[in-house]
Amino acid sequence: MQNTTIKAAPLLEAINLSKVYEDGVKALNALNVTVREGEIYAMLGGNGAGKTTTINIFLDFIQPTSGQALIHGVNANELPLEAKKHVAFVSENVQLYPNFTAMQNLDFFVRLGGKSNYKRGDYENALIRVGLQSDAFDKKLKDFSKGMRQKCGIAIAILKDAPAILLDEPTSGLDPKAGKEFTRLIAELRDEGKAILMSTHDIFRAKEIADFVGILNNGELVAEKTRAELEGVNLEDLYVEYMAGYMDEVAENGSSLANNLSEA
Amino acid sequence: MFSLLLQKELKNIITSPKFTATFLVCSVLILISVFVGINEYENAVAQYQANQEIARQDIAQATSWGRVRNLLHREPNPVQIFVSGVHFDVGRVSSISDYNDVKLSRSPNSDETLFAIFRVIDFAFIVQIVLSLFAILFTYDAINGEREQGTLKLAFANSVSRAQYLLAKFSGIWLGLIFPLLIPILLSLLLLLAFNVPLTTGDWMSIVTLIGLSILYITFFMVIGILVSAITRSSSLSFLLLLVIWIGGVLIIPRLGVMAAGQLVPVESVAQIEAKQEAFRKARWDQYSAELTNVWQEREAQMNGMTEDERRAFRDDNEWTWLEEDDASRKLVQADIITNNRRLLEEAQNRKKVQEQLAFIIARISPVASYQLAAMKIAGTDVELKSRYEESMRAYKDDFSEYIQQKEAEGGGHGGFNITFDSEQGLNIDFGRNDQTLDTSDMPQYQTPELSLSATLGASLFDFGFLGFVTVLAFGGSVFAFLRYDLR
Repeated sequence: MQNTTIKAAPLLEAINLSKVYEDGVKALNALNVTVREGEIYAMLGGNGAGKTTTINIFLDFIQPTSGQALIHGVNANELPLEAKKHVAFVSENVQLYPNFTAMQNLDFFVRLGGKSNYKRGDYENALIRVGLQSDAFDKKLKDFSKGMRQKCGIAIAILKDAPAILLDEPTSGLDPKAGKEFTRLIAELRDEGKAILMSTHDIFRAKEIADFVGILNNGELVAEKTRAELEGVNLEDLYVEYMAGYMDEVAENGSSLANNLSEA
Repeated sequence: MFSLLLQKELKNIITSPKFTATFLVCSVLILISVFVGINEYENAVAQYQANQEIARQDIAQATSWGRVRNLLHREPNPVQIFVSGVHFDVGRVSSISDYNDVKLSRSPNSDETLFAIFRVIDFAFIVQIVLSLFAILFTYDAINGEREQGTLKLAFANSVSRAQYLLAKFSGIWLGLIFPLLIPILLSLLLLLAFNVPLTTGDWMSIVTLIGLSILYITFFMVIGILVSAITRSSSLSFLLLLVIWIGGVLIIPRLGVMAAGQLVPVESVAQIEAKQEAFRKARWDQYSAELTNVWQEREAQMNGMTEDERRAFRDDNEWTWLEEDDASRKLVQADIITNNRRLLEEAQNRKKVQEQLAFIIARISPVASYQLAAMKIAGTDVELKSRYEESMRAYKDDFSEYIQQKEAEGGGHGGFNITFDSEQGLNIDFGRNDQTLDTSDMPQYQTPELSLSATLGASLFDFGFLGFVTVLAFGGSVFAFLRYDLR
């Protein structure tokens, strides 16, 4: 009996995505990434590796030099308004309107995302789900900690109920408890069938929840591993080796962990 | 989508401390300025009426046409409550007589020098200085501020069109600033009604037009704020740039325009013109005096060789003719002096007009000057106020002089007294008054020069249009800049 796996349709696709800035800096070089329904793809890489550039191209904040960024099959740079209907975004440092309460911020951004049929109860449920206490609902955002603002950001993404989610360094600056809560939420969303593309420096978090980990260095995807491939591997060592440009050297010695992995 | 963005913008502004501050400052300043303006206007009206009454009594008490003098006063204008313009700098009174040219003197500021140092705060000043600053405060971080706080990126992660976003932002800020402005304006209009300020339909139209112009002016600064905010990355930089633009536009360029025009087209001062007039007058009277001496010497020469009786008879025969000839010469001298005075004034005025036009052209580099000039024209307190009054007073002076001359002629001679001279009765002078007052019921009445609304609007149309044009241009620039704005 033959066991066949039917793959879900890709919801986020970077196809040969390249970006060269006017000053000649190559931010992305023929990046190929696919994120399907119910998958978390974690992009790892140092500063300037091209993680945020990828997300910015998906959001049409910058135009790619070549290649395509597709959201739900729609070219994000040719039909951005259509493409963005299918994606939610949580930034590294969620800064909502400080004079608005959490409820007011939620109401604005969720309606901006095209959902206008929610009631206050729906907002409350979303905020409770992300771990905010009820006494914070009607507090102004200027009194919120960074962790609380991030929770609001993810609540907005949940309420937008888009099939794809882009997360740009979402756990950066969060304390371990908030980071853990955040990871739990992301995993829940994946389990609900969302396609999540996440850029992060957090190797351990990535290994914990990602279905795929892509390591970017100077705009190139230098390694892409599945959850299964990462099992038993020290991802930190792997990451450091790639980031240090160690690959050339280990290729010569033929004895690096990365090389072993490549062979595996 | 537009409605949602607009609601957010309004909510964001209304909950901000700058909205409260703007509302309070606008309300206090506008209401105080209008209240003080109404008081000032009422005082000016009371003074005007008192002076008119004194002038009427002086005329009524005159017993000789030759002694009738008229004092004309500039009538206060209720729209000056909103735009004082040059009202406090232009004289309020001029005497009308054959011997002096029309000249408005005793300006309010010459009586109250303190106000000349610290100018009156009127509605136009509040709009020009205070509200333009508020417009900048409302808009300097309109775009880059949202980028800095991350909300721009979050908003555009959704299906939001940039043009719609900008339009909603502009509309929200516009409503957020105009709303706190309109309430004190409406209250100040109620103050006008409560104090029974006599406003004609034309005055109301002028006030409404002025409010419209003020809103356009504030809109210009708002759009400039949005434009600068859309071409810079940081709100501190845009604030600095806007402050420089504001200082240059509001405080420097209009003054530079006047200074540059003063250097390029020098105009003689009033004192210099008066010195020239006085020199001509003196020279002309000296010439007249010399000519009269010659004439009398010739007349004496004609009597050479005559006996004393023949001389007396000759004088009797020619005395009246000689008096008429001398009087005609004297009038000719007076006419020459008046013509020369008017010519010198006209030359200076023409040159001043060239200087003014040049100053206004340079000053209009800043739309602030356009607002100021248009507001003053709408209120009738523009730079033409003085010449408008003096021209109408000169026209009246001609009618008045003609009337007096006619009355003098009817009274039979010079200066309101009648001289008869014959060999039987000798010299007889009849002052023709018999201590009775004169009937001045048919004396020409001075009509205050009035500007029709169409003339006012016509005169301010260029500045109105220019302000509208630069506002639209700046808004177009904002749209262009924002469509290319790096949202990251």
